[in-house]
Amino acid sequence: MSHSHELVIKSSMSRPPPPPPTTNKDQQRQNPSLQEINIKLIQSGEKERLKELLRERLLECGWIDEMKALCRAFTRKKGRNNVTVDDLVHVISPKGRSSIPDSVKAELLQRIRAFLASTAD
Amino acid sequence: MSSKINGHVSPQPCPHLLDFRSRNGPKPFRALHDCIRVKPPGGCAAIRREPSEVPRCGTCEESSRSRLYACVACAAVFCHAPLLHSHASDHALSIPGHEIAVDVDRAELFCCACGDQVYDRDFDAAVVLAQTVNATATTSTSGSTAMQCSVAGSQPENLRKRRRVDYRPWEPDSGEHISRGNQSIPLLDATNASLVSSTQQPWGLRGLNNLGNTCFMNSILQALLHTPPLRNYFLGDRHNRYYCQQKNGAINGTKNSRLCLACDMDAIFSAVFSGDRTPYSPAKFLYSWWQHAANLASYEQQDAHEFFISMLEGIHEKVEKDKRKSQSPAGGGDCCIAHRVFSGILRSDVMCMVCGFTSTTYDPCVDISLDLEPNQGGSGKSSSAKSLNSCNVEADCMHPNQNGGISTLNGCLERFTRAEKLGSDQKFFCQKCQVRQESLKQMSIRKLPLVSCFHVKRFEHSSIRKMSRKVDRFLQFPFSLDMAPYLSSSILRSRFGNRIFPFDGDEQDASNDLSTEFELFAVVTHSGRLDAGHYVTYLRLSNQWYKCDDAWITQVNESIVRAAQGYMMFYVQKVLYYKESENQGTS
Repeated sequence: MSHSHELVIKSSMSRPPPPPPTTNKDQQRQNPSLQEINIKLIQSGEKERLKELLRERLLECGWIDEMKALCRAFTRKKGRNNVTVDDLVHVISPKGRSSIPDSVKAELLQRIRAFLASTAD
Repeated sequence: MSSKINGHVSPQPCPHLLDFRSRNGPKPFRALHDCIRVKPPGGCAAIRREPSEVPRCGTCEESSRSRLYACVACAAVFCHAPLLHSHASDHALSIPGHEIAVDVDRAELFCCACGDQVYDRDFDAAVVLAQTVNATATTSTSGSTAMQCSVAGSQPENLRKRRRVDYRPWEPDSGEHISRGNQSIPLLDATNASLVSSTQQPWGLRGLNNLGNTCFMNSILQALLHTPPLRNYFLGDRHNRYYCQQKNGAINGTKNSRLCLACDMDAIFSAVFSGDRTPYSPAKFLYSWWQHAANLASYEQQDAHEFFISMLEGIHEKVEKDKRKSQSPAGGGDCCIAHRVFSGILRSDVMCMVCGFTSTTYDPCVDISLDLEPNQGGSGKSSSAKSLNSCNVEADCMHPNQNGGISTLNGCLERFTRAEKLGSDQKFFCQKCQVRQESLKQMSIRKLPLVSCFHVKRFEHSSIRKMSRKVDRFLQFPFSLDMAPYLSSSILRSRFGNRIFPFDGDEQDASNDLSTEFELFAVVTHSGRLDAGHYVTYLRLSNQWYKCDDAWITQVNESIVRAAQGYMMFYVQKVLYYKESENQGTS
């Protein structure tokens, strides 16, 4: 164990030191954290574009209308004055997350991967 | 407790918001105004201290949460995920006066203590101002203050209402009391109750003979004969054919001046409402219409919708010459009865996708032609089955996309008012960019007519392929229709997000006080092929449906109507629709 450890140290000494971490979390260079990815997406403006794309896809497949219908049904049941935004978010989040079409998920993941690949250091 | 405008409810502030407002002077959100960032196109507003700021929770440093709120009192940003933790709530509860926060990605106010969205007029005004200043070409500061005035409005809505007379129920004066007693006979009593039985057909139902492929004309005439404001106009002697002809004849003694489609309509109304039930032949009317629309004069089958439009034009031409009113705005409906009844105003917004500049135009319209395409279903799987069940429970389904592929009238209207990307071959000239750019177009209804006529585009004519075809696809239509979601005010509201703010042109005239609710009273259906088809009209009178098939009128069950292939649907404002009670002639 210590033998391989030595080897690792030796091989890494010949490489330039890794850049200092940009977030509080510990992270490895090869696997950027969610935070890092998020910041990259926001700063480049890609997050806005992805949000627009997502909105469009979810509108086309009727997901948004379904969520609206769920909210309406819930509001009708509980009474309009007894419902808060937090209630609605709580109620529709599980159904919402599970009913996103796989094609939409795949498309967005693909876009994010492509973006990260194109901006990799 | 909340005011209602065009069906929209303005929510009252929560106690924390009221408290915040009272403690922070006349412009409590002043600091936020500078942080409103609008991203064109689409105009979504966000809150950022600097344009490139990445908002991050002050407690856990997370920037990837879906809801981040900035406290309006101290500008600190916190995340809010009530199930896991809410650092926003922690902050709100720990410091009094810091309950109100703003969603940094949506520019919407939130009360962390109530856990709910709150609305503030001044804040929404600032957001809308930021979004519209971005979207219109204002080159000077004076321009932007003018914009401010038209968007902001000079007064809160409740002060801008026109003066009206209060409602007082009518009581007969002494003279009226006497004449009532002397001369009047009760309409219904034991002696004549038998005459008015529920089996007798309602007034104004009379078959129309087919004069040679004229079912296109008969079907429209039946619908118009029972269009409440039109029927009232003619039966109320507002266009007297004897008087009108004399007048026309006196002015120019020529033969053509005696052509008046409105006079012919008057004649048909008299004939159909006379009580005579034998089928009537509208030959004079047909002849007059041929003279008016010479290009359509033949014994060939014509398109009912085309006939409808040409008829309204015919009434407009002749009638407006009698009354010289002052310039009324297009679509004002002051010109003739046809426009008074059917004319509404459509608003068209074309937005440049590069700079966000929006060009708005208003056009009058006498009907709305809708494309017939399948609705988007649910996301497949079991969700569409569930939603189909929930939809069957409601009599008139208001959820257009829940039918798993069945086209509905609401779905068509929703598509009609949806923002649509104009293709790259239809680039619109943007005044701000001074060059043709890709644009987003959105239609909405600025002013509703008294009677809304919806025309379903079932006949496709392709001049390129030199062929025509008919779309037989079934369209589901409701008996009661609420047009509120398709109004310009609603469309604009959703475009700018959830704002409680009056928009330019919103609630400006008394006609907007009319309800947005409509009732179906006539359906023109087409059956058969494009070249060999037949038009039939279904009429709804005292909540019974009658099938008008040229000379044959029969009472039918409403399920027949629901299953019919709607081509033109006529809806009248609910306040003008009289639903007679079930019991007639009971003492």
